[in-house]
Amino acid sequence: MSEFDSAGSVFQRQPKSLAALLQASGEGVRLWRPEELAAIFRHQMSAPVLVDLGGYDPGTAARLKRLSDAQSLLLKSFSDLFHHPAPPLELLELTKDFAKANMDHAQSSLPGEVAAALYYTSIAAALVRLGARITRLPDAELRRGLLWTSDQVWLDAETKQLLLQGAAKFAPGGPQEPPAP
Amino acid sequence: MSAESSASSIFPRTDWAELDRAGEADEARLDRLIRTYWAPLRIFLVAAFPSLKDQSEVLLQEFAEDKILKKGWLQRADRNRGKFRDFLKTSLRNFVLDRLNRAETRHPPVPLEELAREPAAAEAPSEEFDLTWARTVLEQTLRRMESDCKDPAADQPRRSYIWEMFRLRLLDPIFEETEPPPYEQLVARFELRSPTDASNLLLSAKRIFKMHLGRVIKEYAEQDAATTAEIQALEEFLGRLARRG
Repeated sequence: MSEFDSAGSVFQRQPKSLAALLQASGEGVRLWRPEELAAIFRHQMSAPVLVDLGGYDPGTAARLKRLSDAQSLLLKSFSDLFHHPAPPLELLELTKDFAKANMDHAQSSLPGEVAAALYYTSIAAALVRLGARITRLPDAELRRGLLWTSDQVWLDAETKQLLLQGAAKFAPGGPQEPPAP
Repeated sequence: MSAESSASSIFPRTDWAELDRAGEADEARLDRLIRTYWAPLRIFLVAAFPSLKDQSEVLLQEFAEDKILKKGWLQRADRNRGKFRDFLKTSLRNFVLDRLNRAETRHPPVPLEELAREPAAAEAPSEEFDLTWARTVLEQTLRRMESDCKDPAADQPRRSYIWEMFRLRLLDPIFEETEPPPYEQLVARFELRSPTDASNLLLSAKRIFKMHLGRVIKEYAEQDAATTAEIQALEEFLGRLARRG
């Protein structure tokens, strides 16, 4: 731990630094740099589902634990959930809601891009693995969102593939298989 | 104090009711008031009277004892005549001039023309006074935040991480111009379980910083509305100086 006297050093700082400190500590300022998105998304995918979704009300948290237990998903990751051959629909819906809440909230804990990726990936997993639709977004808008997310350079190949498979279900002229990765 | 310098000065909404209370010999409050204004007043004094630099500490001690701590003195700060900081500056300037005049009476060789020049300089260091005040506020804020986060009696076992996260992600990159550590390094260092865990740590750090900033300012601004206005004024003042470069 540094013994540097950060507080005392205020007296050596120029107004520019002091203004920057106040600005950076304000609301609505990006918490993470764009180049960190890949690491953040990787971390999100490997994070235990219960850690993030467990923040819901006690009833939901208990339901979540039951669902995870039933599917041997206890303390497993979002990645495990999305790539499970038959993920629990309710868990995907909870994940989508969690991501949506983070997308819509100015003071969200997650970068908007990562929250959006989580959102569309949970929808894609429901579509591809279960043939279920967990969103009321119009087809064209949903397809656009799935394709946009799959196009993010910081996304892993497996998730991209899942998103493309989801988007292919809304391809003009009917469902199509996405190209192999 | 000219209208222009008043308008450009920060902290425009000193809470006079609070000062009235300070005038009622609340020792703790007076002590806080003096400690908070000490550095800005010393800067102001030295800038206004450069020849008195070596005596500035003694003069300030005397000023505090003879004026600020004197019963009824604070009530003389007339709310219709300007901000409290302006009142303090004018009072200090008059106090020093009075001391110089007395010294002149006792020791005639004190150069009168120097005395005549010095009062005119009193307006010039006003911005320097405000900047020192801003630095004092931020220094106190950071000191309290660090102490709060490192308090071993705190409930949260990971609370000390909050200060470290704030320092690594915000303070050092701004003050020391260092690169913030990469996200993955933070995850390992703070045993973060997910990005929300990481963000919550950083958001908590920002919240605690703002809470202490608010508390420091509220000690003299007292009311919430005035505190908000003072923080805004502080941001605008520093932003203006920063843009000027």
